[in-house]
Amino acid sequence: MVYVRDWNQEKNNIHGGIQISMKKSSRKTVLALMFILAGVGFLIMKSISDTGVYYQTVAEVLTDASLPRQRGVRISGNVVDGTISYDQQNLLLTFAVRDMVDENKTMLVRYNGVKPDAFKEDVEVILEGRYEESANTFHAETLLAKCPSKYESEMEEEKE
Amino acid sequence: MNMVTFGTLSQSAAFVAGLLAMVLLLTGMMRNDLRFIEAGRRVLIGVAVFTSMAAFALAWLFMNDNFQVEYVASYSDRALPLFYKATAFWAGQKGSLLFWAWVLSLYIALVAWNTRKETRMKNTPYIYLILAGTVSFFLLLLTTISSPFALLSFTPRDGQGLNPMLQNPGMIFHPPTLFLGYIGFTIPFAYAIAALISGRLDPDWLKKTRRWNILSWIFLTIGIILGGQWAYVELGWGGFWAWDPVENASFIPWLVSTAFIHTAIIQERRNIMKVWNMSLIALTFLTCIFGTYLVRSGILQSVHDFGATGLGGYFLVFMVVVALGSIILIAESYSHLRTRHSLESLLSRESTFLFNNVILLAIAFSTLFGTVFPLISEMVTGNKLSVGEPFFNQVNTPLFLLLLLITGLCPLISWRKASPDNLKKNFMLPFGLALVGGSTLAALGIREFYPLTAFTLAIFVSATILLEFIGGARARKKLTGEGLIVAFPRVIWKLRRRYGGYIVHFGVVLMVVGITGSTAFKQEKEATLEKGQSMDIGNYQLTYNDFTTFQDRNRTVYAATLGVVKNGKPAGDVMTERRYYINADQPTTEVSLRVTPLEDLYLTMPMIGKNHEITIRAAVNPLLFWGWIGSGLMVLGAVMAIIPAGTRRRST
Repeated sequence: MVYVRDWNQEKNNIHGGIQISMKKSSRKTVLALMFILAGVGFLIMKSISDTGVYYQTVAEVLTDASLPRQRGVRISGNVVDGTISYDQQNLLLTFAVRDMVDENKTMLVRYNGVKPDAFKEDVEVILEGRYEESANTFHAETLLAKCPSKYESEMEEEKE
Repeated sequence: MNMVTFGTLSQSAAFVAGLLAMVLLLTGMMRNDLRFIEAGRRVLIGVAVFTSMAAFALAWLFMNDNFQVEYVASYSDRALPLFYKATAFWAGQKGSLLFWAWVLSLYIALVAWNTRKETRMKNTPYIYLILAGTVSFFLLLLTTISSPFALLSFTPRDGQGLNPMLQNPGMIFHPPTLFLGYIGFTIPFAYAIAALISGRLDPDWLKKTRRWNILSWIFLTIGIILGGQWAYVELGWGGFWAWDPVENASFIPWLVSTAFIHTAIIQERRNIMKVWNMSLIALTFLTCIFGTYLVRSGILQSVHDFGATGLGGYFLVFMVVVALGSIILIAESYSHLRTRHSLESLLSRESTFLFNNVILLAIAFSTLFGTVFPLISEMVTGNKLSVGEPFFNQVNTPLFLLLLLITGLCPLISWRKASPDNLKKNFMLPFGLALVGGSTLAALGIREFYPLTAFTLAIFVSATILLEFIGGARARKKLTGEGLIVAFPRVIWKLRRRYGGYIVHFGVVLMVVGITGSTAFKQEKEATLEKGQSMDIGNYQLTYNDFTTFQDRNRTVYAATLGVVKNGKPAGDVMTERRYYINADQPTTEVSLRVTPLEDLYLTMPMIGKNHEITIRAAVNPLLFWGWIGSGLMVLGAVMAIIPAGTRRRST
């Protein structure tokens, strides 16, 4: 019923005298839109400060004391050969990771979870978690091993 | 002539034809000579013939294991099943670029054919010119720096094979459907720009491209869904969406085009929001190109980008040209595009469309912002501050819920200006149902804010949609005297454009239910089991019963069988596998999935110990089933909306 009425209403109103009230309501619309946009802007800013993590190298984490330690950090580095140990029963993975440039800078990593398929010696890993300075240990909450195969950039490197 | 030469020549010929078409069209426009325009139109169809020949050549090379071709050697090997050999076509950067050019040229040929009687019209030559320019750009990349027919200096004995993770039916159709969508938006974009240049600013371009828009949207939707499904059944981390840069690259144009499809309706009905629509279609096209740019430039790290390919710069230039061109053209015609009558009331259906647009664009913006944020942050502050999944969830969840609310409000509010009576009458029932449903859920123990809101809104929107269907059937019953049961399907079919839209919305509601259920109420557990041991998750008890090893085609498979007991009753066995492909240096995990309408039981086996003790990662994902059903309905509804009307056409 409403449906039929809608169409008729529109036909009758096409040249209707609503011009005067128009400005006021479009101002209201603009106001509502600005309100929404401000809300979205606020939401974005707040979410960045809530969830943003710093991307750092191993060396930076080790040397930069000013780093906010209480906050999550994402680091990338290479797994050091011969340091991997995995307790399958308790799903505890420990290994050492070294800086990708400065090979002397290393720290221990503890990760509780399943060892990723691509994880092995010398592979590049991306870790997210917290660094405990006193134990020189990084407590990783997420562990990503970069899959080294089947990507074209690698092919390009091989050719060179 | 061998196939490599044939392919190379074909794509070069296509490029030359594209340029020739541009020259002919420009000459025709300058001399005001229709014969040149007509010639240009025919050459455009010729481009499609040449790209088809090139595409045939590449497919042939894959089928015949010609490993001297670098692209074939990189993505195929002898052991690869025939089906995957054919589809390895678009597994990499160069082939997918050829695929892109091929599909675009086919689309263009279709447009050129359909408009064969319209060459006289003022805007048609411009449409051709823009299309010719776009396809030539892709052909330029193919012929100069990214040819899939490039040869190695030697012929390897075997190829490197296709990434095992891509050997999955969902993954095979995910890229091409996404591409069909991306590419499809080129056509409405060309129509819009042609309308701007030629000064034909009436909604004609919108009417003519409506099917292109919705069809492209359908392909984009299918592509994204297939991607999510592939991630779910293949990647083994238990989810379907990770806000990965490349996922976002497909999601952003989807959001913008969804916004565009909505306000296009407003312009068709009311002839307002012209500037807005012009801007939106340009933005849709731009974000489609940006999507491919993101994948090919290597500027962001992602699980499935192509690495740095040297193509980024070209795409960047192309995007800048498109963006600047669109902005200048829209600005120039701004005074003509401005509409005398704008929105009349904050409480009108038109304004709900506007708010829907703003929210969709806000989600698109926040997604884009989060995706490129690491780059911005490094440029501005020198710190690499990056955001991930939590950011996107935190920002977009409230926005999505707001969008859902608007979806429900929209049909309740009448066009132009809603009266309080109208509101009160229409709101009562859906509002009441949502209230009852929401309190019931709260009483059942769902008390967290977001899930409770999402489910309550889902009830609200479903109720409004149901009311629309019933109301329509009643109106028809009154009009024709048919029984309700007859009137119901008839009115839906008759007004399928409108009801198709509502079916899409109902699909969205089901997706919200599926996504909310499977994220907010997900249960996960990891455990290492020896034979005979069991683990509990949710209502399930899983017992490790058996371990087997076997050879299967191009892989070795290690499989564990687990007995499932649900709520104390035996519920059959499930098998989960690890596969070692001959050509890959790392194993892949094969997900075992047990789907019921209420919940999915999701198992992977990430590790096998020396004595066949297995690590099992188990998850229970409630209601996800409805998400997939919902995505199917979204596609179905949209398809319904573009089925051409029969003899009598009613615009709704």
